[in-house]
Amino acid sequence: MEYYAGIDIGSTMTKAVILAEEIVASVIGPTGPEHRRLANKVMEEALRRAGLALESITYIISTGYGRINVPFADKQVTEISCHARGVGSLFPQARTVIDIGGQDSKAITIDANGRPTNFIMNDKCAAGSGRFIEVIADSLGVKLEEMGDISLRSTHPAKISNICTIWAQQEVAARLAEGVPVPDLVAGIHEALADRVARMAKRLKVEKEVVLTGGGAKNKGLLKALSEQLGCEILVPPEPLITGALGAALLGKDIVQKALKSGKRPETKKRTLEEAKLH
Amino acid sequence: MAEEQKKRKKRKTATKAAASIGPMVKESITSTIRAREEGKQKIAYTFIVCQHDEILRAMDIVPVWTENYSGICGAKRDAERFLQRAESLGFSRSLCTYALCGLGFDQWREELGEMPPDAPWGGQVRPDFMISSGQILCDPRSKWYQAAQQFMPDVPIYNIDLPYPLFDPKRDHREVWGYYHRYIVKELRGLVSFLEEQTGKKMDYDRLRELVDLGDRTWNLIHETYELRRAVPCPMGTGDAMNTMVPMCFMMGTQEAYDFYLDLNKELKEKIARGEGEVEEEKYRLLWGGGLPAWYALNDFNYFNSKGASFPAETTYRMVVPLYEMDIPETNDPIEHLAWRWLGYWTFWYEKARKRPGSEPDVERLIQYIEDYKIDGVVMHEAFSCRTWHVGLIWQLHQLAKIYKPIPVLVLGKEGKKEKKQRELPSLVLESDIIDITSYSEVDTRNKIDAFIETLESLRRARAA
Repeated sequence: MEYYAGIDIGSTMTKAVILAEEIVASVIGPTGPEHRRLANKVMEEALRRAGLALESITYIISTGYGRINVPFADKQVTEISCHARGVGSLFPQARTVIDIGGQDSKAITIDANGRPTNFIMNDKCAAGSGRFIEVIADSLGVKLEEMGDISLRSTHPAKISNICTIWAQQEVAARLAEGVPVPDLVAGIHEALADRVARMAKRLKVEKEVVLTGGGAKNKGLLKALSEQLGCEILVPPEPLITGALGAALLGKDIVQKALKSGKRPETKKRTLEEAKLH
Repeated sequence: MAEEQKKRKKRKTATKAAASIGPMVKESITSTIRAREEGKQKIAYTFIVCQHDEILRAMDIVPVWTENYSGICGAKRDAERFLQRAESLGFSRSLCTYALCGLGFDQWREELGEMPPDAPWGGQVRPDFMISSGQILCDPRSKWYQAAQQFMPDVPIYNIDLPYPLFDPKRDHREVWGYYHRYIVKELRGLVSFLEEQTGKKMDYDRLRELVDLGDRTWNLIHETYELRRAVPCPMGTGDAMNTMVPMCFMMGTQEAYDFYLDLNKELKEKIARGEGEVEEEKYRLLWGGGLPAWYALNDFNYFNSKGASFPAETTYRMVVPLYEMDIPETNDPIEHLAWRWLGYWTFWYEKARKRPGSEPDVERLIQYIEDYKIDGVVMHEAFSCRTWHVGLIWQLHQLAKIYKPIPVLVLGKEGKKEKKQRELPSLVLESDIIDITSYSEVDTRNKIDAFIETLESLRRARAA
């Protein structure tokens, strides 16, 4: 049996997937400030869950913004290609992927083979990422994971500026003082983020089916708001955080299978779970 | 700052011509300082692409291209202190950062009565007068010098207005361009009178005619030289073109500019004969489809190159079209000719755009370059402080997407036979600014470039399969 691993070191969460014919193990954990020391630990945990030794992994691909800090990865691939491949495998009919992560968001158009055909990223401003909701949740003293459900209780979503997270935070405080109910404020925040993400995505041609991934996909309120903004239903993978790592593992599988077809085995790194060197 | 500059790797150029530009620009700045000290020639602040280069040269005026100096501050990563100074004077950071940098610099110089400390390349000299240019292209071109007059109230401004008919798919622009021509001629003649008054000299029209002729020949030579970049592999990319634009934009109407392009033309032909490309193994041919570059991050072009990507063409700073392809009336009057050349340039793609329903001249230009230069993908740069270039880029990409679709389409191939072709064209929009480095992240930019290259590669493989 051949096994493939994908490690996605995102700005907020680190994810690992081990794959054979299907996913045999996955791990999700916070990235934290010292992600350079983390990749090997995440891999160890994934191997433990899969009941495998590192040597049994045929190919490893790292992705995400911390991908260069995975010394045992055989190849580094950007999250654009990995999300496209991961979503393409789960939803062959998908043509647009929107990923809302902790510190950025991105939209990718993909073809029937899960190949990216175009993309756009917002990495300039927290107001276009999951951080926007995190900051407001903190201000309101609400748990992040409850934000989505609270927003669904709104009857009159408040209008909140999406230009800047800090301004939005001040605006929420002011509106709270005016007596605006919390669900309306939370719904307003979700609409503001959805508006910003939708505007980014529309810079590409958004085609159905649309799939939402990343932490943002776990938020029902955001899903609803984004669906309204884009005017279509949005599909969500069973575990939207791991599509990048899954895509990385699948791309590794593609590389191995292509090499085997030509009678070779792909070059791989020495299988030791070392930490990234700190410069 | 000095430490950071030392650490930064110098951008690698593909041509000797591009490598020679740094010293050339430095000398042009030094020569303005010399001219100020000698006091024999009048010095004018002014803007590029105003069709007045030959007029200034004929009157022996020393032009100080203020956008250029701001660009130099940006490229040397030393613009921030001037931007901050302008901001402290009440100018918003969201205004054109060329203008902000220039205003911050001017205010500082006027306050000190000498150049600001460690001014890049000796600094920007005080002008005798300022020639602004209220034109469709860019609003700071008239407002910048008005604001600068706060610090230099004794320095007069002359404003030349240079309009051109806006594109209307239902109307042939030639029906109305006579009106525009008469108006522009008046504006340029007014400039000549102003310069005569300032210098106490009369315009030598024979000399002007000669310089305009030299300018015309330079336009054609630049076009022919840049067309050499159609070669596969491409001998020179946009990174180099951001250097070789200097004689085109800052030295038009000089023999030096003409000779520069003669040398470049020769160098490119030699490189093509040797099969030498901008990159060793050319995999992707990209179009710089719009936006001024981030002057402090030109090394990003080398980063593209390191991935096998070359840039055979760009719309930015290619401010010439071949005179022999312009449909403009002939005249012996050099001022009238300059006005026609202006109108001919800005309406060059109008006819083509009218023939394709829903198109626009800017889109036609992109299509022409995509086809002529065998382009695989388009890169644009949204510089937040430059509305002129910024507005419309995404719309242009959307228009392109209607033509370059992600499905095989039938096109007329060799001998008029229909062939199935995959004509999809991925695009990358980079975001930062022309000189405000605080808007730029190298890590994020290069992450986007990596993803773009992967997209191109995946398409290349799909097509091959």
